Amino acid sequence: MTLLPLDFQFSQGSLQDYVDCRRRFQLRYLDQLAWPAVEAEPLLEHEQRMRSGAEFHRLIQRYLLGVPEKRLSTMMDSLGPEGSDLKRWWGNFLQFANVTPGGNTLVEGVLSAQFGSFRLLAKYDLISWDMDEPDRRVTIYDWKTSRQRPNRDWLAERLQTKVYPYLLVQAGEQVTGLGKLSPEQIEMVYWFAEHPQEPQRFSYSDEQYQQDHDFLAGLVDEVGSLKEGDFHLTADESRCKFCTYRSLCDRGTAAGSIDQVESDLEVETEQDFDLDFDQIAEIEF
Amino acid sequence: MELTPPQLDLIEASNDQKIFLEGPAGAGKTTAGVERMLYLMAQGARADTILVFLPQRNLAQPYYQALRNPGLVAGGTVDVLTLGGLAQKMVQLFWPLVSEQAGFAHPDQAPTFLNLETAQYFMARVVEPMIEGGAFDTVTIDRNRLYSQVVDNLNKAAVVGFPHTELEQRLRGAWIGEISQAHLYADAQQAALRFREFCLEQNLLDFSLRVEVFLKHIWSVPVCRDYLSKTYNHLIYDNVEEDTPVSHDLMAEWLPQLESATLIYDWDGGYRIFLGADPASGYRLKDHCQEEVTFNHSFVTTPEIQEFTAGLEISFNLAEDRLDSPFVSPSQPIVEDPASKPAVGDVRSVLEFETHRFHPQMLDWVVERASYLVEDEGIPPEEIVILAPYMSDSLRYSLSERFDRSGIATQSHRPSRALKDEPAAQCLLTLAAVAHPEWGITPVSYELAYALVQAVDGLDLVRGQLLAEIVYRSKDGRPTLTSFDRINPDMQERITYQLGERYENLRLWLDSYSLNPVDELDHFLSRLFGEVLSQPGYGFHHSRDAGQVTANLIDSARRFRWILAESLTDGSGKDYVQLVQQGVVAAQYIRRWNEPSEGAVFLAPAYTFLMGNRPVEVQFWLDVGGQGWAERLYQPLTQPYVLSRHWPPGTPWTDSEEFASSQEALYRLSTGLIRRCRYKIYLGLSDLGEGGYEMKGPFLRAIQRVLQNYPADAPGTQVETH
Ligand code: SF4
Repeated sequence: MTLLPLDFQFSQGSLQDYVDCRRRFQLRYLDQLAWPAVEAEPLLEHEQRMRSGAEFHRLIQRYLLGVPEKRLSTMMDSLGPEGSDLKRWWGNFLQFANVTPGGNTLVEGVLSAQFGSFRLLAKYDLISWDMDEPDRRVTIYDWKTSRQRPNRDWLAERLQTKVYPYLLVQAGEQVTGLGKLSPEQIEMVYWFAEHPQEPQRFSYSDEQYQQDHDFLAGLVDEVGSLKEGDFHLTADESRCKFCTYRSLCDRGTAAGSIDQVESDLEVETEQDFDLDFDQIAEIEF
Repeated sequence: MELTPPQLDLIEASNDQKIFLEGPAGAGKTTAGVERMLYLMAQGARADTILVFLPQRNLAQPYYQALRNPGLVAGGTVDVLTLGGLAQKMVQLFWPLVSEQAGFAHPDQAPTFLNLETAQYFMARVVEPMIEGGAFDTVTIDRNRLYSQVVDNLNKAAVVGFPHTELEQRLRGAWIGEISQAHLYADAQQAALRFREFCLEQNLLDFSLRVEVFLKHIWSVPVCRDYLSKTYNHLIYDNVEEDTPVSHDLMAEWLPQLESATLIYDWDGGYRIFLGADPASGYRLKDHCQEEVTFNHSFVTTPEIQEFTAGLEISFNLAEDRLDSPFVSPSQPIVEDPASKPAVGDVRSVLEFETHRFHPQMLDWVVERASYLVEDEGIPPEEIVILAPYMSDSLRYSLSERFDRSGIATQSHRPSRALKDEPAAQCLLTLAAVAHPEWGITPVSYELAYALVQAVDGLDLVRGQLLAEIVYRSKDGRPTLTSFDRINPDMQERITYQLGERYENLRLWLDSYSLNPVDELDHFLSRLFGEVLSQPGYGFHHSRDAGQVTANLIDSARRFRWILAESLTDGSGKDYVQLVQQGVVAAQYIRRWNEPSEGAVFLAPAYTFLMGNRPVEVQFWLDVGGQGWAERLYQPLTQPYVLSRHWPPGTPWTDSEEFASSQEALYRLSTGLIRRCRYKIYLGLSDLGEGGYEMKGPFLRAIQRVLQNYPADAPGTQVETH
């Protein structure tokens, strides 16, 4: 019997964790263990980057939803020195935005589809398509704010590069209104805020789609078949430097340096606030 | 569960229908709402154009559950939001367009969102100088409650929809008692005004300001409105009766633009009145729907249980014209589901009770009966809930300890809990004080011993105290730890070398940190956790709870640091620690609304259980004779009824209104519970309550009156005392 809950949802993040380290997958997704050690050093710089990255995504979202560019630029101008990255990225983005195709967009949208006995889910920064274009191309954009521009081979192997276009073929019909999407219509673009002129583009194809399907299906089957003792620690101990569970696995004490990180570490999503019974201190239950 | 024909009719209604569905709890309304959502998706509606709108997040559980079904159609995802969630999302996105007109002093800078904890903190900063100047001098509640009542007043103004400048006028207009109380209202008004000014000055948005900015500004900006109307075409709005008037206003305006809507209304709801819920306001949305549907078959209760409800209605002697009251939602007779009928009997077949002299005896009886149900009647533990009007820590402990002894697991639902009460947090804060001697916070010896016991795996309290007495000193108000190597060998042996070595590593780590301390308390905590306390040989290594508590503490401290930096307000790690320890900041963390754990009896306050909206086989009601079931919380600075939309400003709130409203609230609470019970209710009775008081409250008397209609066995009278 599988250890996965029946309603488990796979994402590129959880699959990447699985590929990197089975144990991490178990601790994070099956046990949902909060383990707040330092992820990368220097901590303050890491934190600042994470915050700026999240703020940049919000900024682009505002822009794409119709908040005037001028207004957003005024806000950028008022930022202090701690906002210098954000300002630079914004300037770079505006140049890029001038050359990207317009048309229809899905901004910060989540798609999901059945995958084997589970669900596969992904959150996209931007999906863009043009109804009037003859070949009806659909482009997935992902904004990266890391300092380094990862090399193409490394990116090609990332689960994100496999899951995003694959899932768009599966679930894109409903959101784009373009009918059943074929892999040939799809392109995935990583745009680097620090390297605006050098996006990495990955065209999709039937062949790649089939390969991704086989790979992902194999992975999900494998995860589903594992037993309690099968979630081994990774053999590549360099991964443990950026993993908060290192104390639990007896894999060292201190975190690795942020400069060695290939790309963005995952950005935490902010919790939304709400007024409900939970938050009324006054009502002492 | 198979769907009934009326449910199917509603679910499969055409995609352009606006339907108002009403009925009692347990009639299958939410099931229909969930299935309607799935039907719309199956019919080709884009999932991301469906909005499920709810008054409170935990009510989303059945919707989320359905949305996680692997077989769901492929596509986008349904948004499940509350007014607070929607307001937050919209303010985040469209802040640049409204920040100036909403009156913020720095419209070009980003907003900072406050949660309850940080709102209370800033409220304290605003109110403290007022207190020093003599304000609130007659108030007897502690300061944290004072702050939270002022926050609550602002929230009420926002969700009821009146200017926050009218708080005093409304509260004072209804007050008929001593003049000193009227002064308190003036102080509370001042505090609210100053807090609001402070927020506008610093770009801070508490819940009330988020809602106001959304409704007054964002909602009227075309690009924002356009975004909402393009995003959502279909609405499922469940538990309309538990939502606030401004939510209802919003929906009344929005409904004409939507393609379809399913509004679900529970007749006997309105449990959140003290949070601004307004059942009568919600009912007017019926006029905005073309289809009106009533489900009045209960799938949950038996005829006997329903007879209990009817008996209580008579027993409470509720005024005949109560249904005209705006605080009461409409209600009609419920038709029981014939399939669920057991053998016909009287109310006593579904009620079991026993009176005891003392409270602990009552608790023994409760656990003994629950064990019998699990072991002999085969009722799954998760189908049993133990309910009290309020669950104090001691009551919770007494119950879970008794259940432990009986070998039955319990799940205790405490929605929020002060971090300072968690052993892991106490350990972290004590070690933070030691690592920052410049703070001048000196823990007492037993606090340090306790921290070491938590920190060092295998160290018991006796050896921990011994160790603390030897190694811990405070010089000129600066705490210091000395080396294990300097202890005499006998003592080293007693403590053991292994534990000594662990202690020594911790000490060296703290020592080396204090040579180069950081300003960010959360960074310190994260390092201490990762580099020492969660390492093998230390107390947090095997503790899931310690990990969670540390994560919450770090999150809270970080949020404070960010907010203080953004609002250009002074504050350091030391201030944060002091605030937590003094309880000025509640430092509460929010536990998720847990799904019932399989195999565990659920312990919860009655209202919390109600808002979980989950029927069970068996309920135990504790302290039925206590006043807590009927009394409103003492809130000298606010008043939920007077601040509602239905109380005309200037009209006095008299004792008779207070009596009628508490009777009504008690009736609602009891019927709400009864309608979520399938099999049996056990009443826990004791002559003397937890605090040793006589237990002859109105709830007990009302139940007695119901039972007196039967020949014998009324609780508290004929039943033998053990
Ligand atoms: S510390 Fe290393 S072995 Fe342990 S979960 Fe993380 S990556 Fe895997």
